[in-house]
Formats: sequence, C-alpha cells, structure tokens
Amino acid sequence: MATRVRAAGVTLANLRPAPGSQHKQKRVGRGQGSGYGGTSGRGSNGQKSRSGPGPRPGFEGGQTPITKLFPKRGFINQNSKTWAPVNLDRIQHWIDQGRLSSSPENPITARELLLSGCVHDVHDGVKILGDGAQHFKTPIYIKVSRASKSAIEAIESNGGKVVCQYYNPLALRDCVKGRTDRIAAAPTRREDIVWYGKYRNRGYISPGTLKALGDLPFVEERWKALATQLGAWKKQDFDVQKKK
Amino acid sequence: MLHSVMLRTVSASSSHRAFRSAPVRTMARLAPISRNNRTLMSHPPPSGTVEPILEPVYLALSQPLKGKTAPVERNVAVLDPTVFKHPLRSDILHLCVVHHLDSLRQGSANTKTRGEVRGSGIKIRRQKGTGKARLGDAQSPMLVGGGVAFGPKPRDFSTKLPRKVIEMGMRVALSAKVRERKLGVVSQLSWPNGKTKHLAQKIDHLGMRKTLFVTGESSPPTTLERAIRNIEKVKLITTDKLNVYELVKWPRVVLDMKAVNYLERTYRKDVPVSPVPIAT
Repeated sequence: MATRVRAAGVTLANLRPAPGSQHKQKRVGRGQGSGYGGTSGRGSNGQKSRSGPGPRPGFEGGQTPITKLFPKRGFINQNSKTWAPVNLDRIQHWIDQGRLSSSPENPITARELLLSGCVHDVHDGVKILGDGAQHFKTPIYIKVSRASKSAIEAIESNGGKVVCQYYNPLALRDCVKGRTDRIAAAPTRREDIVWYGKYRNRGYISPGTLKALGDLPFVEERWKALATQLGAWKKQDFDVQKKK
Repeated sequence: MLHSVMLRTVSASSSHRAFRSAPVRTMARLAPISRNNRTLMSHPPPSGTVEPILEPVYLALSQPLKGKTAPVERNVAVLDPTVFKHPLRSDILHLCVVHHLDSLRQGSANTKTRGEVRGSGIKIRRQKGTGKARLGDAQSPMLVGGGVAFGPKPRDFSTKLPRKVIEMGMRVALSAKVRERKLGVVSQLSWPNGKTKHLAQKIDHLGMRKTLFVTGESSPPTTLERAIRNIEKVKLITTDKLNVYELVKWPRVVLDMKAVNYLERTYRKDVPVSPVPIAT
C-alpha cells in the first residue's frame, strides 16, 4: 500500500473554532424529536406562553407589589464626600521605608499616596489626620484635599508645609493620572469657596496660606488669582444685618 | 535603526552594527527604574536582567523573479520571532477568516412584504356565504402574487473582532507559513518589462504557481504589476491589502524585504530576543 504521509498544513478547509466556544441554535416548534416541539418550551397556556413581553417586572398579579407596600425611607446626600483618611504615623512609616518622599518641587499629593499604596483608593480626595502625631518627625510638603487641625499643627511644627486644594472629580483623576494639560477646576459652591479661603484650614485660596507658603515651587500663580477673585466677597458686605 | 536590526540580510558590512546594537535594544527595555532605597527589605529585589528566550527565525532567501540568488553570505533573512514564530492557533485563524468573509457579504437580498406589494387593500370577497375561506386583501402571503412572509431584507452581515485578535491572527498565519516552509522572502520584487508570457514561464520555472506575492511598496512596480496581472493562480498585492484570509488561502506566500519590514513594524511584540550571532 503506497500511502503518502502529508503534513496537514493550515488551509481554509481545516480551520475550526475553538472546542466549546460555539452554541447550537435552539430551534423551537420544530417537532417532538427536537425537544422543543409542542409548546416550544413555554409551558401550557397563559400570558407567558403568548408572544409579547409578558407581565412587567415586579408585577405580582394585581396584588400590591412589595416595592409599593412599604414607605420610602432615608435619602441620599448629593453633597456628601468620602475622604480617604491617612494618618501621620502611616505617612511616617512609608517615608521610613523609602516608599514616599517629598520636596518643595514634588510635594506629596493623592497620586503619590495612591501609587505608593498608602491609600488604596482616593475616593473624593485625601484627608490627612493627626493620629500618631507623636511619632511624626519628618518635614514634608503635602498637597491634599483636606487636613485636620492636629495634622496641620504636627506637620508645621516639624517644619513642613501643608496646603489643601480643591479637587473636583476630574481634577482628582488628572492628579492621580499625572496629567498636567488641564487646569484644575476652581470651587464653585459657596461652602467650598468659604472653606478653602480660610487659613485655619490651610485652604489654597486663602491669603494667609499663600503668605505662609511664600514662593515655594509648587505654589501656582493661579492660586493667587483665585484668592483675589474668590475672596472678593469678604469685602462686599453681603448678608450684614443692618443695625436698627 | 532598531527595527531594521531584526531584519537584515546577514552581510559582512552590516554585521558589526547588528551585533552591537541588538543587545542594547533588549537591555534598554529591560532596565527597570531603580527605586531601591528601602531600609527594610524582606527579600532581595528581582534581578534587573532577563535572559532572552526567543531565538530569531533564520530563513534562506528564495530565488528572485529577476536576477540570480544572492551570494551565500548575504542569503539569510533574520526574522522577528514574535511575528514569524508564533504558536499555531487555528481557532484565531478561524475567527479572523470568518470575520473577513462576513465583511464581504453584500447583504442585499430583498423581498416585498404584504405592505410593499402593489395593489388595492379592498377585501377580495365577502366575509360570509361563499362557502370558501375568509380572505382580506390580495397581498396576503398565503395567496399567489402576495407578499413574502419573513423574507430577506437588506442588512449588514459584518461582524466585529478586537483589533488585537486580528493582529494575533496575522502573526499566527505568517508563522504557520514559515513552519510549513511555504513562506519565501526575496530582497526585491521586480520585473523588467510588462510581458506576461516571459514572467509566466519564469514563475513556472521557479515552481511559484499558487503563490501570493506581497510587496511593501505603497504601489506595486508598474511593469511587474502589468506582467503578473493575467497569470493564473498568482496574485500580487501590497502589504496594506494583506490579511489573514489571503495568507491562509494561498498555499505559498513570497514577501519582499520591505513587506517583511512593514509586517515586523506593525505586528512585533516587545519581548527580549536573543542577539544575532554572527561570525566575523
């Protein structure tokens, strides 16, 4: 028997999909042998056996559905923010391990904290808290969304600088991604403008903070412009009760 | 310069350059940004260098259409293994081929439904008393000359396939051709005049029927294009027209150097490749 052994090359004739990757079409109403003859897999009579979408989701046959049976409860606060808390002892630990460092040129921001694993998610911004302030020894430069009173005190007593910048979701994303081609949005809500305009909070548009920071490299020119524009309300005497 | 390293006919003049720059290429990619100033270190950091595991593909040049084969020392093409030595995945090829064939479907089949068939909507006989079936208008699908129930309508049959799957398909198809020894590389595809007869004789002489010629030029050389146009079982295309379907369909494929260059540039993956050992 003279058979030639030929190596089967790849041709259009011997291509086939990966095993198990394909499904067979379910052919309903094509006779008993198919398994989907008779009622076509829809059971006997009734609304669900007819064509059309059937009863709407949540419909319980006319009985008051469970979604309407109980009153609504609670509310969603549209203005709430979830801050990612970072304590000072944690920052100190990260610095000791060499996972974080800061300089006037490159302050610690949400990006550094996230990339070094100091926070696992920046949520709506990072807030520095003062736990373990007695272990905190390093002068650091840090720019975050919020800082607590005790944290501010501890950082500045060690010779560091802290400034709280307003980040809207887009600005925070740009910060985390390291994008610098867009200008971070200024606060628009009255509450934010007032909060970031206070030296007590080390807000970035407060004249006191800008004065304390001086001309450090990470201070942006825009902050000064914002401080004058968004701080103008203080001299405009709104809401002052007239004395009678 | 970097991509030309992998694709270089091994010659005495260029060997020095290829030999020197190949390791540099891998090292540059592998050297990590050193940030190892930790004080607490539980285990040593991974070593900065990785031994390349992929060997380049060496392929003897095929006999060109015009002129003689190059001398022995200039006769080997060095091909990128990520493009020309991919493991066989016939399921990926199947996906790519089906995707391509789907895109070719015209989808222009068309029929008229009962609403589109010409004619009046008048009831063709009264409801009761005739002893015959109840009927409405004359375009009912049940009647001769009526509309078609569930007939075909023009539609788009094209499917989508992720770009990375298509790119992998190209690697698999090219590699399959190399493995079956059905891929030829020539330094250049050209033909001196537009005469078909002589080119057909030459192709028969070289045993290059059933062959797809692929050129990396933006448009194929005019004389060659004119001469090859009417030869049976031979096709000449440019690289931008090349796809997985053509590669699988044609039993033999011949690339010119520019085409190889283009394919490597487009489909190569950044993994360490052993340098080309060249004896001086």
